[in-house]
Amino acid sequence: MNLLFIIFAAIVVVSALGVVLLRNPVHSALALVSNLVGVAAIYAMLNAHFLAVVQIIVYAGAIVVLVLFVLMLLNMKVEALKRHEKIFYTTVMLVAVAFCAAILPILHQFFGEFNPAASLTIASGAAASGAAALPRVEGTVEAIGKVLFTRYLFLFEAASILIMAALVGAVMLSHRVSNANGSSVNSGPSTDPSTTVRS
Amino acid sequence: MTPLSFYLALSAIMFVIGCVGAIVRRNAIVVFMCIELMLNAVNLSFVAFSHSVGNLDGQIAVFFVMVVAAAEAAVGLAIILGLFRTTKSVETSAANEMRL
Repeated sequence: MNLLFIIFAAIVVVSALGVVLLRNPVHSALALVSNLVGVAAIYAMLNAHFLAVVQIIVYAGAIVVLVLFVLMLLNMKVEALKRHEKIFYTTVMLVAVAFCAAILPILHQFFGEFNPAASLTIASGAAASGAAALPRVEGTVEAIGKVLFTRYLFLFEAASILIMAALVGAVMLSHRVSNANGSSVNSGPSTDPSTTVRS
Repeated sequence: MTPLSFYLALSAIMFVIGCVGAIVRRNAIVVFMCIELMLNAVNLSFVAFSHSVGNLDGQIAVFFVMVVAAAEAAVGLAIILGLFRTTKSVETSAANEMRL
């Protein structure tokens, strides 16, 4: 077992716990950044270089910054723990720990000896040895781009439409609704009453 | 060479932590971050399987999950902003009626 994997797995688990357990939402967001960077490092260990970079740019760069912007806009208080919620919290934690204790041995049993090359050769009936390894995939920009723009071209275009729709929706949702007397809050320079949109 | 089951175990632990956070926390933004945590856990197992099976399609799936997560971040945070405008609170229990 790899030493680097242990280090990054520890970073990932500890910072994930930090996201959940820290009381201040800004601290949670910073723990989320270190979690995402740790996951990106594990992607790089798995030869998914493109995804590692995209993870840092999109998640740690864009999404967490967006979350921090909203946190600063809202200026909220630190969440206080109510007394009657203690028993709820302990119940949820116990269920989570029991779930982990149940699923981890199963995962190890099914995938500890997982060898896709051997299972594929068995399935195809070939008598080749299991050591005939599968082609080693490298998730480089070139390899991902080739697959993305040939086989998944339609999905790629659909994703761009989805992003566009999300952009328009976010602008619509965060747009300030005009007041009841017709004076729009952020109508800007359009002070002419005939052009002001009345809702 | 780390076996596949270790990556899957890490992914499962991360998913459970995110799920607990989404259930337990009352701040809507922290719940949102816990959802991101769960998405990342699933992405991690996608990449681990892609590496193990020797197929690039899992990484493409992760790419699309990231696209959807970005769209979800934009819309979700705008909704939280609107919730704060109407109720002066971002607690999930404040969103108990559908009218604005």
